[in-house]
Amino acid sequence: MVTIVIYHFAVPRNFRLLEELERGEKGIGDGTVSYGMEDADDIFMRSWTGTIIGPPNSVHEGRIYQLKLFCDKDYPENPPTVRFHTRVNMACVNQDTGMVEPSQFPMLSNWQRECTMEDILTQLKKEMASPQNRKLVQPPEGNEDQRVDQKGQ
Amino acid sequence: MANSNLPRRIIKETQRLLSEPAPGISASPSEENMRYFNVMILGPSQSPYEGGVFKLELFLPEEYPMASPKLGRICLDILKDKWSPALQIRTVLLSIQALLSAPNPDDPLSENVAKHWKANEAEAVETAKEWTRLYASGV
Repeated sequence: MVTIVIYHFAVPRNFRLLEELERGEKGIGDGTVSYGMEDADDIFMRSWTGTIIGPPNSVHEGRIYQLKLFCDKDYPENPPTVRFHTRVNMACVNQDTGMVEPSQFPMLSNWQRECTMEDILTQLKKEMASPQNRKLVQPPEGNEDQRVDQKGQ
Repeated sequence: MANSNLPRRIIKETQRLLSEPAPGISASPSEENMRYFNVMILGPSQSPYEGGVFKLELFLPEEYPMASPKLGRICLDILKDKWSPALQIRTVLLSIQALLSAPNPDDPLSENVAKHWKANEAEAVETAKEWTRLYASGV
């Protein structure tokens, strides 16, 4: 059985993304995660870029990871797609495409409308410091161009 | 009813918007979410936007009327620091209509358009007319 919960006063998509944009422009916390709109002319505000600075006491320390987030028209009822643009070796990331696999990343598979792009980036940063990820051997730095851009996937 | 706990003020404003719409402005609440309005503003006559139909979304946040309605990225003082609960949805939409009659290149969203407007107003007006025809003809 499928239960559909309708939030009658839920913030509609575009206003939700505007709130996130405003928050992203102000800057978040200690600055170790950040995000912004990739294409300021896209009135549907679909493409976003995120940055995570690798957490201390892990192989990721001091590394800068760039990500692409794509919020389709059904966001935030459904999660965005999240893809690492910078190569990274992590349990929840597909090594070939850089996609964060929802099946390995519960925040995406059990998506809650209240979750934001900031929450996703913060959770990914935590994952980097988790026992299963913090010691994984990483590809050499400075290889962003090796991956074919798969915008919007 | 789904929207039964909608504040009386919002119900009153909505009724009036529907029964006595301001000239050139229509605003109707969405069926699923009475705080979410589809708005249409006709480009004012004698402006570069004449003949255009401009569609907007408006959302009344939980804090309304203590906080202003949300209207996307529009640089308008009453949507920011000049908001007062004495203002209404109607006042905001009339202000946007007035902004179409008198664009303010001193407080722009797009720096490029503002620069163009200041450097060569006649040409910028032509561009505005062209874009109105291309993107806001209401078809």
